[in-house]
Amino acid sequence: MDTISRAGLSRRSILKAGAAAGFTLAAPGLLRAETKELVVGGAASHKPWVEQVVIPNFEKKYGAKIIFEGTKSLVNLEKMQKNKGSQYLSVVQMDDPVMILAVKEGLLDPLTAAKAPNLAELVPGATHMDGMWANYLQPWLGIAYNKTAMKTPPTSWADLFDPKYKGRIIIPSLQNTEGLPSLFVAGHLATGASFAAAQKDTDAGFKKLAGIKANLLTIYTQMPQAYNLLEQGEAWMIGPAMSSFASERKAAGAPIELAAPKEGVFAMPSGIAVVKGAPQSDLAFAYVNELLGAALQAQLVGPTASLGTNKATPKPAGLPADLTVHQIDWANVAAERSNWVSRWDREMAL
Amino acid sequence: MMALRRIDPVGLLVLPAVLYLGLVYGLPLLNLLARALVIDGVPSVAGFVKFFSDPFDWIVIGNTLRIAVLVTLLSLAIGFPTALALARARGAAQALILVAIILPLSVGVVVKAFAWQIVLRRDGVVSQALVALGLWDEPQRLLFTEAGLVIGAANVFVPFMILPIYSVVKLIDPRLGEAAATLGAAPGYRFFRVFLPLALPGIVSGIAFVFSMAVSMYVVPNLLIGDRFQTLATLTGRSFLLMRNEQLGSTTAVVLLVLAVSVVVASSALSRRFGGQS
Repeated sequence: MDTISRAGLSRRSILKAGAAAGFTLAAPGLLRAETKELVVGGAASHKPWVEQVVIPNFEKKYGAKIIFEGTKSLVNLEKMQKNKGSQYLSVVQMDDPVMILAVKEGLLDPLTAAKAPNLAELVPGATHMDGMWANYLQPWLGIAYNKTAMKTPPTSWADLFDPKYKGRIIIPSLQNTEGLPSLFVAGHLATGASFAAAQKDTDAGFKKLAGIKANLLTIYTQMPQAYNLLEQGEAWMIGPAMSSFASERKAAGAPIELAAPKEGVFAMPSGIAVVKGAPQSDLAFAYVNELLGAALQAQLVGPTASLGTNKATPKPAGLPADLTVHQIDWANVAAERSNWVSRWDREMAL
Repeated sequence: MMALRRIDPVGLLVLPAVLYLGLVYGLPLLNLLARALVIDGVPSVAGFVKFFSDPFDWIVIGNTLRIAVLVTLLSLAIGFPTALALARARGAAQALILVAIILPLSVGVVVKAFAWQIVLRRDGVVSQALVALGLWDEPQRLLFTEAGLVIGAANVFVPFMILPIYSVVKLIDPRLGEAAATLGAAPGYRFFRVFLPLALPGIVSGIAFVFSMAVSMYVVPNLLIGDRFQTLATLTGRSFLLMRNEQLGSTTAVVLLVLAVSVVVASSALSRRFGGQS
């Protein structure tokens, strides 16, 4: 990884960056017009792979410079709102629930197969709201478990409800995006309904979830705390657990493992969109197209422990080939979430 | 000129504080009130009506007050004797107690909460000690229970109970007690009728400090009890940070503020009434 980033930083590009820095103070408008510069807003956690893989690839191919601003989805939304009419961000990489807010405020320029041909190559469910945004990568949600405490790995979401794990289970709060599948899984386990149906009718899910309360050590809102408890052996399983975070902890030497339950895993949203009125609009669509392409995705699925969304992207190592990946209906989530959270507060309370 | 002369020059000393608080606290507070009381540009108390007509919100208020009261009582039970010891101690012993009280203040709340997580675990020292003493048959979990929250929060706030009590108690003339004794007052009488009334201002400010911090704590319950126990502070935080429901957030914030201020004002009024007579 190190060598990749060093290769990207040639003497010329350093000189260019220096000149750009000087210019920025003097004439920002002029600069953008002349050096073909693209500003991408994403999450701080994207920074390593964007800078080491995406940017060098893109700059070589298009001869343009990319500035990546890594913050949070809601901060990017605010940047777009504040600069409406004179946007400086061209592309945003944000969580899907925040994309919905951006669509409502008319901040996004829809993707089309004409402008980003790879759009046609994506798996079903990876394009949203008539192409307003697409998913480039999907971290997945499975069950993280402590290898020392659990000699046999969990195989089903139903394991979280097994009475022998009294006080040993941690689930995410429903206010956390990764917490939503708890509700859908519970609904599916209760009635056998499909995951799509369980997302629409959550009543059975809520009733089933009451049965997990005796097993709960806690419901977390702070992910690092939950993993801390799992690694110490106070908790034995976290579910749903995000592949990107769990694999990072595992790589750091934590005694944990991530299992893909037989009922299937859930795809977490990593959306990408072009900002309406974006500077360098053509380049913006090209950037999106690259991230939706199998070539770049294949390089990213490993380091990010995610699934690709291009049909041609291979699954990352260690996952069963016939793995079912369920998609979450984010528009439905946006409409229902505050009601769900409110019911959750009441029914999951101590 | 007359008007100017009537202003006590000492009063001017509070000017920096008034300016600072007015700017960074007063104005935002007005803004908060406005948000809670204006819906779609029209003044309305609908937000409060909705809040108070939901039984769940009363549970949240109950949670908030119960935890704050328990934390305050535990802090008082630990802090009052400590403050007396601190006031009586001399030399190195006093320095040691002071350091022991003040040094932990420099450790962040998050660090303390994580430390309590280790202490309160099933295989943590508290659980092990209770089993060893025969009080518990088997290791149990204190983490993510109300008891664990109260114990952990009292640890964070106890210096704010000790220091005000200490600063008042150390000024009490020990000869007052001796004088009462020579007049035939028994130890219990001396404590309750001589010492306690004199110490009361310190106790009340300690209670006011700890209660107002405990009633509005956010990080500690977040880490020690989690999402299954909502308080007004956690509900406010979530409304603003995650649900983007500013109306609900400002409503709960105002309710919290009113509760905290009224308890603090009432306790100081009570102390003036009972402390003043003696």
